[in-house]
Amino acid sequence: MTNTEKNIPKEDGPAKKKVAPSLALTLKEFKDCADLIYRSLPDLALEMVFFDHLTGSEEFTREIAIPFGSAEEQDVPQLLERSQFTEITDSDALIKKILNGSVALFFHEKCYAIHVYKPESRTIQESESEVVITGPHDSFVETATLNLSLIRRRVKSSRLKVIKCEVGEITKTDVYILYIDGLANMEYVQEFIKRVELIELDAIHDANMLVQCIDDDPNSIFPQFPTTERTDAAVSKLVAGRIVAIVDGSPSVISAPASFFEFFSSPDDYYQRWALGTATRLLRFAAFIVTITFTALYVSVTTFHYEMVPEDLLLTLTESRSRVPFPPIYEALLLEVTIELLREAGARLPTKIGQTIGIVGGIVIGQAAVQAGLTSNILIIAVASSAIASFVIPSYMMSASIRLARFGLIILAGLLGNFGLMLGLALMVIHLSGLTSLKSSYLTPIAPIHLKDWRDTFIRAPFWMLKERPSQSKTSNKVKNKMRQ
Amino acid sequence: MNEKLHPFHIMILIYMNQTGVVIMSLPHLLAENFGYNGWLGVILISLVVNLNIFIISIVYRLGKGKSIFQIMESSLPRVITFPIYMILIGVWSMTGCMVIKNYVYIYQIMSYNTTHAMLLKLLIDIIAYLLIIKGIYTISKAATSFFWITSWMLLLQLFFIKDFEWARLTPFLFKGDTHFLTGGFIVFTAFLGYELCFMLFPYADNPKKFIKSVYKGNLITTLTYLIFCLICFGFYSFEQIRNMMYPLLDLLSYIRLPFIERIENLLFGFFLFTTIVSVVLYSWSAQETFARIVPKANKKVLAFIILTFGYIVAWFPDTLSEVGQWLQYLGYAELGVAFGLPLLLILILVIHKGAKPS
Repeated sequence: MTNTEKNIPKEDGPAKKKVAPSLALTLKEFKDCADLIYRSLPDLALEMVFFDHLTGSEEFTREIAIPFGSAEEQDVPQLLERSQFTEITDSDALIKKILNGSVALFFHEKCYAIHVYKPESRTIQESESEVVITGPHDSFVETATLNLSLIRRRVKSSRLKVIKCEVGEITKTDVYILYIDGLANMEYVQEFIKRVELIELDAIHDANMLVQCIDDDPNSIFPQFPTTERTDAAVSKLVAGRIVAIVDGSPSVISAPASFFEFFSSPDDYYQRWALGTATRLLRFAAFIVTITFTALYVSVTTFHYEMVPEDLLLTLTESRSRVPFPPIYEALLLEVTIELLREAGARLPTKIGQTIGIVGGIVIGQAAVQAGLTSNILIIAVASSAIASFVIPSYMMSASIRLARFGLIILAGLLGNFGLMLGLALMVIHLSGLTSLKSSYLTPIAPIHLKDWRDTFIRAPFWMLKERPSQSKTSNKVKNKMRQ
Repeated sequence: MNEKLHPFHIMILIYMNQTGVVIMSLPHLLAENFGYNGWLGVILISLVVNLNIFIISIVYRLGKGKSIFQIMESSLPRVITFPIYMILIGVWSMTGCMVIKNYVYIYQIMSYNTTHAMLLKLLIDIIAYLLIIKGIYTISKAATSFFWITSWMLLLQLFFIKDFEWARLTPFLFKGDTHFLTGGFIVFTAFLGYELCFMLFPYADNPKKFIKSVYKGNLITTLTYLIFCLICFGFYSFEQIRNMMYPLLDLLSYIRLPFIERIENLLFGFFLFTTIVSVVLYSWSAQETFARIVPKANKKVLAFIILTFGYIVAWFPDTLSEVGQWLQYLGYAELGVAFGLPLLLILILVIHKGAKPS
């Protein structure tokens, strides 16, 4: 057990005997914590313990410094009776309050806490991973309370409920589960809370880490809960009757339940004219087919099925492949891995150097590889098209999963041609059919079929046609739109 | 609680189970056995299928949705049910494995001639196993997904409209060298798969729409067969169809796109999906029956045993024609099951005046 772990009191487990809080006990608990502030006001017989980096200076001045600065000792009990002060009778609870940004006040034998939490926070900026052309540009930050305010600002309803949980044995990270009462299915809410409470990891650093702990099938390569940094996206999920979870310290929020096809929609679709939104969505699904099959089909055709290439194209293809000494599968894997290396390097490097990587990868390696006879230029077109198509998918998590699945298909196509490709696709469909998200089908609205939902899944129909909330949310209040054309 | 099957999914399951690679040779079978305009024979056979579904619907109504096993076990002693179950397991597991071997052998006409057929079969078996163990609800979801992936293939027939000639259909109806009875049996096997709807009794979400969805499933199969066969009869001459083993496969090879041609190989790959659904449904039915004999056994183990048994049996036929023979005999056996089992169940239910309360 680490030193930190010893210091942090555990709330779980069998009921512990309550110990009355005292200044000595508190200081002993925070021994060797150089950042802890201890202040004594002998004139008032008042002592304070807090972390100044967790408390807001404005709040501290307003709630403590001003009232107590001009008070006499006999006024203190009256001041402590104000509603913002809570009397604490348990030492463990007090420690937890201090860690959560409260100021502990010791007056004679009694102990009080006041919540003046206001940590330093990044300013609200545009999301770098989910860029939009039209629509709101603000995105979530790492402070959960600020994220809550961003949502509250958009949903001015007392029906927006927030449940607070704590995860991480050591980090005690706050997780806020949000839903709209009357829209969300309470079975889903209960199931979500249950899963969050069952997490027994020592630390949760991000929402994308938390989702992996509550997945229906943690072994799957496909994400079962989408995460977003976009405030409007989170609100649209809530209004659709889904659950949203905010993890303190993470700029991403989780929504649940979700279907496979939800990962292909973007809030932009609703901000454009319906025809454009529909075209974009269809383009994304076409991109999905291209990214998953294009390279694999190239490998399959050039390894086993040359008869499928038309005569005119055959000459170009044979000429292009004639200098390549490897079988198509090696050639394709080599180039796919290179593309992945470039992508990973580009993602890790600062933007300015990242551009250099693009030039090095795109021009130098691509051109040189063809001239050196390592790959054919037709394959470069196939691999580049697949890579570009994969980036069209709005969810980074889904895009990465699909790219990984593509490798499996390339290998199968290299070993067994079209038969292998179909075998791989069948395997993928079977896997997806078995997946669930919060126990609801991952392939909805295809299986189980909900034709009405298709209007807002494969296309983005005009708003007057989108009359109902998605069936997956199992909401009791289905109608979301009473407009007529 | 078990998840129930929506009528739409039952319809798709029935359609996907019925259709398969047999469609490739169906125009040939029709021409050989029904003569000129033999494609209309599809309607005749479909009517017989509807009659069979009607008989099954009587079982469903009298049995009030109870499973066929419950009906049998409530009236028949184990001495009688045991051999019935063994026959069902044998027929279904062997049908499943032969369907795969048939698919693999036809594929080997086009590609992978040097690859061992049993290796390719093993790969399909593995995929089928992974689906069987997930249960009927996931099977139905996968079947629906496969349906959407394959349904667009019907549009391919548009390629042949300009080459289609009504004159090739001739004014003769069922003339020439015909074998209505034996041929009818052979063509009937192309429709088999609907009879497994009696395994879905306990899983029906909507009892009122259950039988309707089975009829609809058969209707889609009939329409699909009709369209494909009509196109073949209008594209090829009658003699050509009689002499071609797989007219539809040859037909698909005529499709040319700017970037790709001879896509019959790829298109035949899509039939893997319908083949998987057929295999999975037959093997799942065998597994469910097996579970009645050994109720305490793990279903995953039972599915493994069934597929292994099928795999061993599949070693015996060595050529495509041998597999065809096996499938024909198994088809006859399945025909017996399709008509015989519902009639037996009706007899039991009538004697007992409806199903006993469970």
